[in-house]
Amino acid sequence: MADEGVASHYQVLEELGRGSFGVVYKAIEKTTGETVAIKHIDLESSEDDIQEIQQEISVLSTCASSFVTQYKASFLRGHKLWIVMEYLGGGSCLDLLKPGVFNEMHIAVICRELLLGLEYLHAEGKIHRDIKAANVLLSEAGKVKLADFGVAAQLTHMKSQRNTFVGTPFWMAPEVIQQAGYDFKADIWSLGITAIELALGEPPHANTHPMKVLFQIPKNPPPRLEGKFSKEFKDFVSQCLVKDPDHRPTARELLKHRFVRSAGKVEALQELIQRKQIADAKATRVKLPVFYQETLHNISPKDDSDEWVFDTVKSTVPKRGTIRSRKPSAAFPLDEGMRKLDVKDGPLQPSTPGTVGRATVRRQPSVAHNQGSVRRISRDGSPRASIAPKRPLQPDMSFGNSGSTMRLFRRVPSDSSTSGQTGSNATDVGSDENRPPPAAVFHPAPVEAHSKEASLGRRLYNKAVEPSLDELHAQTAGSAKREALARLSDAFALLDSVDPEGAYHLLRNVMSSVSQDGKLSAAFLSSNVPPPSKTPLDGTPQGTVVIKSRASATPAPVSPTKLVMSQENPHLLSHRRRGSVAPTASEARSPEKEPRPEKEQRDREKMVMEAKYPGRNVVPGMEHCKALSDLLYARWTDGLRHRWGALAGA
Amino acid sequence: MSFLFGRARAKTNTAELPKQAREHVLRLDGPTGTAKGDELAKTLSQIKQVLQGTHDTDASPDQLYQLVQGMIDEDLLYLLAANLYRLPFESRKDTQVIFSYIFRFRPPTAAAPKGDAPLALKYVVEKRPQVLVELCKGYNHKESATPAGTVLREVLKNQAAAAIILYDDGNEPGSSQGGEAAIDYERPQTGNGVFWLFFDWIDKSSFEVAADAFTTFRELLTKHKELVPKYLTVNFELFFNRYNTTLVQSNSYVTKRQSIKLLGEVLLDRSNYNVMTAYVDRGEHLKICMNLLRDDRKMVQYEGFHVFKVFVANPHKSVPVQKILLMNREKLLHFLSHFLEDRTDDEQFIDEREFLIKQIRNMPPTPVPPQR
Repeated sequence: MADEGVASHYQVLEELGRGSFGVVYKAIEKTTGETVAIKHIDLESSEDDIQEIQQEISVLSTCASSFVTQYKASFLRGHKLWIVMEYLGGGSCLDLLKPGVFNEMHIAVICRELLLGLEYLHAEGKIHRDIKAANVLLSEAGKVKLADFGVAAQLTHMKSQRNTFVGTPFWMAPEVIQQAGYDFKADIWSLGITAIELALGEPPHANTHPMKVLFQIPKNPPPRLEGKFSKEFKDFVSQCLVKDPDHRPTARELLKHRFVRSAGKVEALQELIQRKQIADAKATRVKLPVFYQETLHNISPKDDSDEWVFDTVKSTVPKRGTIRSRKPSAAFPLDEGMRKLDVKDGPLQPSTPGTVGRATVRRQPSVAHNQGSVRRISRDGSPRASIAPKRPLQPDMSFGNSGSTMRLFRRVPSDSSTSGQTGSNATDVGSDENRPPPAAVFHPAPVEAHSKEASLGRRLYNKAVEPSLDELHAQTAGSAKREALARLSDAFALLDSVDPEGAYHLLRNVMSSVSQDGKLSAAFLSSNVPPPSKTPLDGTPQGTVVIKSRASATPAPVSPTKLVMSQENPHLLSHRRRGSVAPTASEARSPEKEPRPEKEQRDREKMVMEAKYPGRNVVPGMEHCKALSDLLYARWTDGLRHRWGALAGA
Repeated sequence: MSFLFGRARAKTNTAELPKQAREHVLRLDGPTGTAKGDELAKTLSQIKQVLQGTHDTDASPDQLYQLVQGMIDEDLLYLLAANLYRLPFESRKDTQVIFSYIFRFRPPTAAAPKGDAPLALKYVVEKRPQVLVELCKGYNHKESATPAGTVLREVLKNQAAAAIILYDDGNEPGSSQGGEAAIDYERPQTGNGVFWLFFDWIDKSSFEVAADAFTTFRELLTKHKELVPKYLTVNFELFFNRYNTTLVQSNSYVTKRQSIKLLGEVLLDRSNYNVMTAYVDRGEHLKICMNLLRDDRKMVQYEGFHVFKVFVANPHKSVPVQKILLMNREKLLHFLSHFLEDRTDDEQFIDEREFLIKQIRNMPPTPVPPQR
């Protein structure tokens, strides 16, 4: 899949929102100047099959209707999939509901447009399966479009049915929950619920636990629209919410309903967009845009010395252009090589004398070159060494999307020529003797710590940084090292006097970077500091549920994110297993860390084995014997087949 | 969309439709190409309507039979498959629907035995295998990839159809070009047939094309439990050589990750037992696999682990495999004890990792020739 370079055709701007599969950014297509929305899906963080994401794309790419968000392109960038879509500036109906509910006139227009969209989809043999206000987008002109095909299905035959349990509980039709086989009519039910959502601000049962709702919807009579609404509107909703799908009208039939027939023009919906803009402007808490930032984590530095050893080099050393290979001319180096071999590489066949381990190191083509412009891995192994070149429209890409970054961005003094690079400046100051001292040196009077951050930064310097540096300085021998430390100390002192707030932010960023890197956080943070995570602020759970087989009896925790449950779900499996295996498994690990007397270890292993294979005779320490190996191997392959079996189409 | 309402006319000349379509397709290149494209779109839409029926009426079985037979006679299946990428957006979708219906159509008078393949599919497999080859070549173009792939995956459920694609080998003797009956299952493939193009489609195309091609490729390799093991045994070297160099070590994250996973699926399918044992005997394969464990991306490491464990758990490890494991024993033990440490929820994975550590630790100090 060779489309690494395509990403450069787009200028990515601020974050628009977070959908079921990833983060959506606003962007500009450079050649046309057109504004688009780009969904970034981090494939590395998704356990599910990439095929499911491809499914969404294939449903989208075969849609061409003015009532459906237009798909434009998709391509890979490293382990991120970018899906380029039409940009809809009005936002989702859920966003537009925030200043208050819609009036009937607006709802009628939206319902008609949604019906037109459903009519198109259903004629194409597609079921949306997740109709709700959050998935209805408006253009700036007020055009209504269906979005988010994360769980949409394509039926191959016009009359076929689906059994998959999919959607968002509150909006789900009873036949979907009962998994009795459903078709297009399921979308009509969800439309009815969405109409109520637009009129009342939330779907029926919104205060009930989503899992409980799953039991209530099939059991209870269908929800009704109550309150001071017109007869037509109430009737429209009740027609959508007929429990028997056979008696529920189709999209085409509903388009003849009086409620939507008398609906006005879509331009009227611009009022909703303006209302939202006014409400946003009035809001006291100004939401700053979060800018797109290249993610650079996940690149673990490669340690050359850690490579596997594959080539056993016989007495004639084959030279494969390896720079490090030394001619074993003298007896001494050869000896040394053999000694190393003994210690490091474990015993080898005595029949291969003169084997020099590590003489040729097989290397895969460097990933750095594969990634092209995406990331450059520096030789010294620093994963953050490459910061994407600054682009004019992205003033500050070197900072993360964490809460404090926008402040940092604004703090940059206007006289600095390197605005947007403060992150590295802070540590660089004073590191180059040939450089004229920074302008700040001429303001020896320490800045007053005004803000909370600033006072914290000052405290940080006085209580933590300065004493540590002094102590380290005292312990360090070697003038070069001491000098380096002294310079760092001076630099920090300068930073503290000029910008204590900067010191605060520096350490914060360092801490958050450390906490995001597994190895670093294990080494530095005794209590694991969770990486700053963003959680949706919405009150009602908007999560989309996908359940592939009957697992609804399991009371799984419901999070506002996407929920995937299947019989083979590793989490469910491990849930069940944990009860019995967990204690023994942890015991099995412990002997490795603290060596015990051999007998005790064997006894422990025996216990573990017995826990795993009750009723079988296990000889401790003899697990590698052939019979048992065969048994384990068979179990193994069976287990694996279980894991892969679903796809192998057993 | 006005042509959709021309149903009255469509009804009268059902038999004429394939002929019309053929003429339009053949003139797509001519001076009136654009106009012919529009007319073809109309004709295809009419054919689809007849096949699909509408909400009110379904075409009579006789009419359907006439239409399907007409399409076979006019060689329209081949023409549509070969020109799919040139058709307009809606026509490509119509063509996909037409193919799906035609390949499922059985004559009304159930004269044919029940287990027999549908009429058009039987014809293609026996007499016109080029239709299937052209459908595969739909992956040469972004436009035709999705419709062609959708049709292919349905058709490939049929074993004979899968055999046509696997054993296509140009004009070589025993190639499927002569129909299913002509296939020589024992002759190793040259690697120039249409099946081998999938490797490049998966590795070199844009995401949309590559992902679709991969889905079809997976279907081909996992669906048929007699055909595929035989194929892999005869073509072992060629297949795994290409698979490992082009797919497993691909530069594309998705290709890499998906193909490692598929490798595991294929190896651990019970019907492929002999293929698996042959695979895990090779030191070369273990080396590739061990390098995956050190990949930059965690999911690649994780998928790689599930292939690696097959090597280690194998009770009959070959001498080369034992040598590599022994040479790296200390490194492996150290590496595995820290491998994907953040997967703390994955009990099965943790168990398996512990098992591998124990297996490697307990290996005899020098390679022992395997006994079977």
